[in-house]
Amino acid sequence: MKTGSFEFNVRELAMPTPSDEELMLNVRDGDLAAFEQLVPRRQTEAWRVAYRFTGDAAEAEDIAQQAFLRILDAAPRYTPTAAFRTYLYQVVTRLCLDRHRKKRPVLAESLPDPAAAAPTPEEHAGARDRDRLIQTALDSLPADHRLAIVLRYFEGLSGVEMAAAMGRSPKAVERLLARARAALAPRLELLREK
Amino acid sequence: MDCRTAQPSLSAYVRGELPPDVRSALQAHLRECPACLASLTALDPIAAALGQSQEPPAPQGFATRVMAAARSRGKPVVAGDWDPLHWWRMTPAPMRAAAAAMLVAGLTAGLATGWTARPATRQAQDTQAVALADAVAAYHMDYFGDAPDGSLADGYVALLAGRNGEGR
Ligand SMILES: [Zn+2]
Repeated sequence: MKTGSFEFNVRELAMPTPSDEELMLNVRDGDLAAFEQLVPRRQTEAWRVAYRFTGDAAEAEDIAQQAFLRILDAAPRYTPTAAFRTYLYQVVTRLCLDRHRKKRPVLAESLPDPAAAAPTPEEHAGARDRDRLIQTALDSLPADHRLAIVLRYFEGLSGVEMAAAMGRSPKAVERLLARARAALAPRLELLREK
Repeated sequence: MDCRTAQPSLSAYVRGELPPDVRSALQAHLRECPACLASLTALDPIAAALGQSQEPPAPQGFATRVMAAARSRGKPVVAGDWDPLHWWRMTPAPMRAAAAAMLVAGLTAGLATGWTARPATRQAQDTQAVALADAVAAYHMDYFGDAPDGSLADGYVALLAGRNGEGR
């Protein structure tokens, strides 16, 4: 399918709830209100990947915000060749890896627990411990292993989607994921004893 | 979702091949159903362990903060959406003088209506010029690169390069 005709159809069929890609075409034409609709719709994906990758809420916010602003800056060149969601994962992934190259990873144990401020009922304490254990296990992985685990198991991306997000071939992504799983499995053993 | 639909979707789930809405429905079912969770654990213990973790939502006010940052840096610049205020601020002195002369002529002609709006207009020019200069410095004007020769955008790039180029 040619991009031109796809764009035309997208606009002709504009419905009450525009798709991400329709909104991005409007953003490309300078419509900031369309961007304002898009950000809340996709903020969770962007923030969650960054949060699982960094283990730090403030840094996750910074990365997720940067991702949206980069997309806005590049909007004049936007063409709807892939799902917007995949594009967003790609930008967030790149920012996560850039950030990682520039600084040491933050260890989960040294982080304040965002949930700790509010009093939590007893039955949630176990879930919180488990979350912290998972985050610690993730933090101990090399950056690309960690990203592969986050994209597959927290975001539910297929091999092809992960390949697009990580800028690698689907084969390379499968190999990476296999190594990441092998590294993570023993670190999650503790979970089973609970 | 019930066990009859959950069970056959487990293998697509571990391969990341479920549509997002089906995936969340299955995850909700897994939280309630020990039998299906046991099947998942047998199939992929990592998927089972990680799938149970609480998913933190994006922080309160995140989208608002993104939009505030987006507005403070100005709109994306596209050739079809030309803003004469940018043009004015980025124009070299001789051309500005010429434009100023025209402005004076305009003001003389339309003094009664033109005069009151001036201070606000001036303010807007300064704000937008700063936002544009930031974006240009950060991204090395790469989104002006595609302007066709001789177009208004191309002329604009040339002017910008002349004014800001020596600092780089
Ligand atoms: Zn079930």
